[in-house]
Amino acid sequence: MDRYAGPLTKYAMLITDDLEVARDVVQDTFIRLCDENPVRLDSHLAQWLFTVCRNRALDVQRKEQRMKPLSDVEMNSQASPEPSPAIQAERREAATEALGLMADLPKNQQEAIRLKFQNGLSYLEISKVMNLTVTNVGFLIHTAIKALRQQMQSKPDVAANRMRRTT
Amino acid sequence: MNINPDDPKLTAYALGELRGKEHEEIERQLEGSDQMRREVEEIANVGAQLSKEFAAEPLPELNYAAQLAVKAKLEPALSTTERASWWSFRFPIRVTPLGFLVILSIVAILAAMMLPALSRAKSKARRISTQDEQRTSMMAKLIGSDSDRNRTSDLNTEAYDHIEDNPFLSPAQNPLSTFSIDVDTASYSNVRRFLNEGRLPPKDAVRIEELINYFPYAYPQPTDEHPFSVTVEVAGCPWNAEHRVARLGLKGKEIAAEKRPPSNLVFLIDVSGSMMPDNKLPLIKRALRLLVEQLTEKDSVAIVVYAGNSGLVLPPTSGDQKQKILSALDRLEAGGSTNGGEGIGQAYATAMRNFIQGGVNRVLLCTDGDFNVGVTSQGELIRLIQDKAKGGVFLSVFGFGMGNYKDSTLEKLADKGNGNYGYIDTLNEARKVFVEQMNGTLITIAKDVKIQVEFNPNQVSAYRLIGYENRLLRKEDFNDDKKDAGEIGAGHTVTALYEIVPSGKAMNLPGVDPLKYQPNPQVPVGGHPSGELMTVKLRYKQPDGDSSQLVEFPIAASQTAYAQASGDFKFAAAVAAFGMVLRESPYKGTATFDAVAELGAEGRGSDASGYRTEFLKLVKEAKALKR
Repeated sequence: MDRYAGPLTKYAMLITDDLEVARDVVQDTFIRLCDENPVRLDSHLAQWLFTVCRNRALDVQRKEQRMKPLSDVEMNSQASPEPSPAIQAERREAATEALGLMADLPKNQQEAIRLKFQNGLSYLEISKVMNLTVTNVGFLIHTAIKALRQQMQSKPDVAANRMRRTT
Repeated sequence: MNINPDDPKLTAYALGELRGKEHEEIERQLEGSDQMRREVEEIANVGAQLSKEFAAEPLPELNYAAQLAVKAKLEPALSTTERASWWSFRFPIRVTPLGFLVILSIVAILAAMMLPALSRAKSKARRISTQDEQRTSMMAKLIGSDSDRNRTSDLNTEAYDHIEDNPFLSPAQNPLSTFSIDVDTASYSNVRRFLNEGRLPPKDAVRIEELINYFPYAYPQPTDEHPFSVTVEVAGCPWNAEHRVARLGLKGKEIAAEKRPPSNLVFLIDVSGSMMPDNKLPLIKRALRLLVEQLTEKDSVAIVVYAGNSGLVLPPTSGDQKQKILSALDRLEAGGSTNGGEGIGQAYATAMRNFIQGGVNRVLLCTDGDFNVGVTSQGELIRLIQDKAKGGVFLSVFGFGMGNYKDSTLEKLADKGNGNYGYIDTLNEARKVFVEQMNGTLITIAKDVKIQVEFNPNQVSAYRLIGYENRLLRKEDFNDDKKDAGEIGAGHTVTALYEIVPSGKAMNLPGVDPLKYQPNPQVPVGGHPSGELMTVKLRYKQPDGDSSQLVEFPIAASQTAYAQASGDFKFAAAVAAFGMVLRESPYKGTATFDAVAELGAEGRGSDASGYRTEFLKLVKEAKALKR
């Protein structure tokens, strides 16, 4: 649990945009885990946890939207809302690093990136968690990395920083 | 074939995701191109950089109390599986090209089904709904965070009168307490399941009002024109000698079995793969069998199932053709994935086609809560359910064998569908819901029942509603007939308890500064009868009505000691105290499991149904687990 609580919470925050809600989601995920047969999960644990966490986060998110239903017009006009305070703070903290740049990517790319590089899931596992095809996952990660590379190159300090770190 | 540097396959290769032929193909191409090799290196570098930064990223932790709660439950599970293998986990199956294609196509179909719902869900507009905020603060409080305790009793003119669950409130600042009734009992059966499995329930699974309402109480039958009677009893508070408890009891009119109106029932049954365990589909079959056995030729039953596909398994069939209904039930088998959205549409369509004017028209949804809404978003689903409820087809939701966490969805569905929500863990519970309280389950006698209590500051220095956290209404909602509230079924009892601090007893409310511009609220305005403790007001609608009726009773202050209280009063207080101890409520006072057992035993009475005896057994189990 110590190992997964943090990464799961970060992941859930991508969907809920709210730390406390994300914590609730993760707590629910673990409680649900208690009811699973551990032998059956065994090697699928990471995939299982992120899948349950994601579905739960989406449920909560949907519920929240139901409380204040939006008309379709409103929905479309709000396709790219202001980043939440949590995201903005995260950006300030890591403004010069790849993670800071990541906050500008579309949410589904961020999800895929987190699953892949924070949690070491394979494309196939990510496709199951996010309910996409493997090809879709490949495309999301590819596009995300491309965007990150371009941004890093356009900001010399980031590139320099990166060079220092990778050597 | 030459690969483009902008091909996702190159990224996949750089990240070590390609196998077999594709892998070889890229390798061959790389040999001939420096540009490609640089590309791959760059991609791998970004990946490494990301991994490194993620590893250094500060991570949020769960709240400490939540960690403990989860850990205690998780520890046994952990020991049986190997920790080390989790992290360095690769997908263990070698996927053959054919198998891979199959998986691809399945995933593609699923994705196509899910995408519209997903994109809707994800076009996020961050809005804090009052209810969610309430929930969050409730959670925060339950797991021991003090952060928003101080927001308690502002003179709050919008949203809810009080933001947190159940703080003590001063009648000078919040004279009105408004909530919707709740006849659900799911939380009690769920708590029972946890205790019977040898675990303490998570605190959030304990909804005290559902615990209290699980038990029938001997309230009188209504004798006037109203469909329910109201009983109020005030006596000493068992967990705080200085305080008092007011018990509000509603009793719905009983309807004799032979007077039950003709019923048009549609069973909507989840037969997805997850329903296979004994406490799910097999229990559903046995439970519904109990219900079918009581039906007569006036009634009709149809069965709709949903899984990957949904279908009408049994067209509307008269209640006297029991064999036909039962054998259709028996043939049901679990398998396939869930698409609840389509099934529910079909169930409602069936119910509408067979609509009985003046009768009971009801869809009974039986599921483990994995209610995958498929092509329909939950928002649309709720609108459908509300719409049909207006048209006279109500929804009842029965949860079977599920983990607790889906129950908020199910409760919400039933709530919107003018229905009730039960959790059926055993055949005994099925007997209670479908046989003993069948009429209550099927026949709604009043809908949108709301309670508003006004406390007299001359008599009360503070009050606290026990439970009903997610049923609180704004004081304005009481008179607003458009605001949905709970339903009461034939013979149902609904009980609510208030803990009251009598005037003159010191009560340190986290107060606000005296207000400058209000008529001085500290000096109660004279003129109202000072002997009254409070006034209880109820609003309800007839099941097919649109406008509400008001019932109002003043309640005199009493000096009844706890010892003189009725057995029902003692028992309800014991159940409330049990809930507070399970939730480790800051308001539990001197209550302990031992004290609960004692109170419960005093209030047990004759207990013909055996429910109260079972409760006392659960208290013992909880106490043993607490050590």
